Amino acid sequence: MVFDTGRESDTEPEEVDVPEEANDGPPDDDLVLKAQQGDVHAFDQLVKRYHGKIYALTYNMTSNREDAEDLTQDIFVKAYQALPRFKGKSSFYTWLYRIAVNKTINYRKKRNRKRTMSLDQFDNEIKLDDIYHDLTSKGSPLRNLSLSELQKKLNEAMQNLSDKHRTVVVLHDMQGVPHEDIAKMVGASVGTIRSRLFYARRQLQSELAEFMK
Amino acid sequence: MTDQVNHTDGGKRLCSEELLDKLLHLKQYEVPEIARMTRNRQNIMREVRSASRNQRKSFGDLIEGCFPWLFAEPKYGVAMLLVAFAGLQYLSVNARHAALSDTGIYTSPNRFATYAQPAVTSTNAVQYDEISPHLRLFRERQKNENVKWVNYLEKE
Repeated sequence: MVFDTGRESDTEPEEVDVPEEANDGPPDDDLVLKAQQGDVHAFDQLVKRYHGKIYALTYNMTSNREDAEDLTQDIFVKAYQALPRFKGKSSFYTWLYRIAVNKTINYRKKRNRKRTMSLDQFDNEIKLDDIYHDLTSKGSPLRNLSLSELQKKLNEAMQNLSDKHRTVVVLHDMQGVPHEDIAKMVGASVGTIRSRLFYARRQLQSELAEFMK
Repeated sequence: MTDQVNHTDGGKRLCSEELLDKLLHLKQYEVPEIARMTRNRQNIMREVRSASRNQRKSFGDLIEGCFPWLFAEPKYGVAMLLVAFAGLQYLSVNARHAALSDTGIYTSPNRFATYAQPAVTSTNAVQYDEISPHLRLFRERQKNENVKWVNYLEKE
């Protein structure tokens, strides 16, 4: 187990209270209640709602799209099986994220020897982004690198982080989850999360230093 | 001099942090193929439906859920089964009595033709119709015939 809770990583997560995201359609609580009563269609709606986020989390944690797909499938099946024990004291989103984080870390531990990268393609819309133009402009230290090289180096640097550090970087810097929510998800204090984030970013900077000269 | 060095280091760190932020920002443009994601969602729901079927309760589980005392105390269960058996027996006997009717052949939508049933006396002896006296049941015996009739008394 990586987190400070001292519990086994693949166990059902402790329920924490996090404000729910605004979504179209019926609220999560209603869908969860129906799914608990055996309505598979209601669970299908929950899958549609959170599939992208859970895939992004597992993909950024593993840098391997095949592993991310397998993990996403396992996470939702596990959530469905554990749903009867979900009491609704917290949001479904937080509960699901905690399952996802624990399962991903556990999966990586089991497949520690075989770490290959299999990355998704960049969306064409990236060329419309101002930040992309800044990075590839004449004054940028990264101007001589191709987009695929940048992608590969960043993913390699991410994979060199420890599971704890990578988790906070993915949740905070890539998915925009606030410190307080991450603390509840991983069972650590807000101070610990800030500290992990600081050291993770320092390590990433040093890993990418040669490209930033 | 030291302040100047610190200022330069701080500036570099700020610059590298900014670059790192920009690099991490670009990660959001790494998107999966739509077809793969659709297939993945379908696989998830297939697994979920399979798990749902496995979780579905059998008739035995349903009974146990509705009448937990029946299984918690086996003696009550056995007593319940005996009562149910006796009740069914009683019902079947009543049903047999209610179903008794005359034998008949259906001849038209509104009529039943009944068999001429043998009349039964109080001694349970069956009365048959009398045979007319001119009818011979056995032929006369021939002279050269070797056939011996059973119960036929021969006078030498």
